[in-house]
Amino acid sequence: MDPFSVLGIPPRLSLDLGEIEKRYRDLSRALHPDKFVGRPASERRMALSKAIEVNEAWRTLKDPVKRAEALMRRAGVPVGETKEGAADPALLMEMMEQREALSEARAARDKAALDRLVASMREREQRVIATLASRFDAPDGSADDAKAALPALGELRYVRRFLEEASAAEDELGEAG
Amino acid sequence: MAYSDKVIDHYENPRNVGALDKGDDTVGTGLVGAPACGDVMRLQIKVTDEGVIEDAKFKTFGCGSAIASSSLATEWLKGKSLDQAEAIKNTQIVEELNLPPVKIHCSVLAEDAIKSAIEDYRRKQAARRAAREPKAEAGSEPQPAAGVLHDR
Repeated sequence: MDPFSVLGIPPRLSLDLGEIEKRYRDLSRALHPDKFVGRPASERRMALSKAIEVNEAWRTLKDPVKRAEALMRRAGVPVGETKEGAADPALLMEMMEQREALSEARAARDKAALDRLVASMREREQRVIATLASRFDAPDGSADDAKAALPALGELRYVRRFLEEASAAEDELGEAG
Repeated sequence: MAYSDKVIDHYENPRNVGALDKGDDTVGTGLVGAPACGDVMRLQIKVTDEGVIEDAKFKTFGCGSAIASSSLATEWLKGKSLDQAEAIKNTQIVEELNLPPVKIHCSVLAEDAIKSAIEDYRRKQAARRAAREPKAEAGSEPQPAAGVLHDR
């Protein structure tokens, strides 16, 4: 199911997540089993499966990578393991270096180095999301625009992976400090 | 998802993690990645003059299956000739590690890394040979070229 239609919101990459979360909560409340006590079984089943869809849609839309993937699918561009082509060698080299630097900072418990790496990667995340948004959110966006955004989506996944590991490292250093 | 015991073993005790000197002519480096999952894998081989892989190292940032695939690959590479190494197929990795269908792409990545390390090594060797024999080539080649000029 397309998560945008499930929650009834316009398909865009730049979204007000607060607003969408509210919508998700309202829908979940309306579909709660308590509201269907005494209703026919078919109606209860329908509400339950709708509630599952709503949950899934929110989970997809709150994550920028999954949100971009949903937009790709809407545009008819296949995404996933074997469908996206090779990675840009320069990006791979850079990401390998960044991940190694992160591992070193983590092993050395170097909070200052970790903070620097995270700050620059967060900036990069914003830049990549802006690039993706410019592709997806143009009023006359096409499937070609979506396809052209694939490398940026790949880059965003690398950036997010880095930030996930960085946040684990931050927790580790924070606990000790 | 449940990982096989062999994947867990390689994940917990990865073999041959590290780096070889990229600038060394006898070292080939393969750097590959899967943008669809954000994995990056570096695999390096050190080759003797006889064309035998004497050392192999890897560094992979990715899921357990990607780490296990590259760890296993380095184990298999040591002691092999380049031709034998080139013949390693991702399906052998899948079989050895019991990878489920959704993780087959991790073994493909490892095979790509092996091939690209071998290619890098061969490129370096070709460049080294070319650099070592510039006089022979420079001495013999310009003559026919000059001859062509004379004919005109």
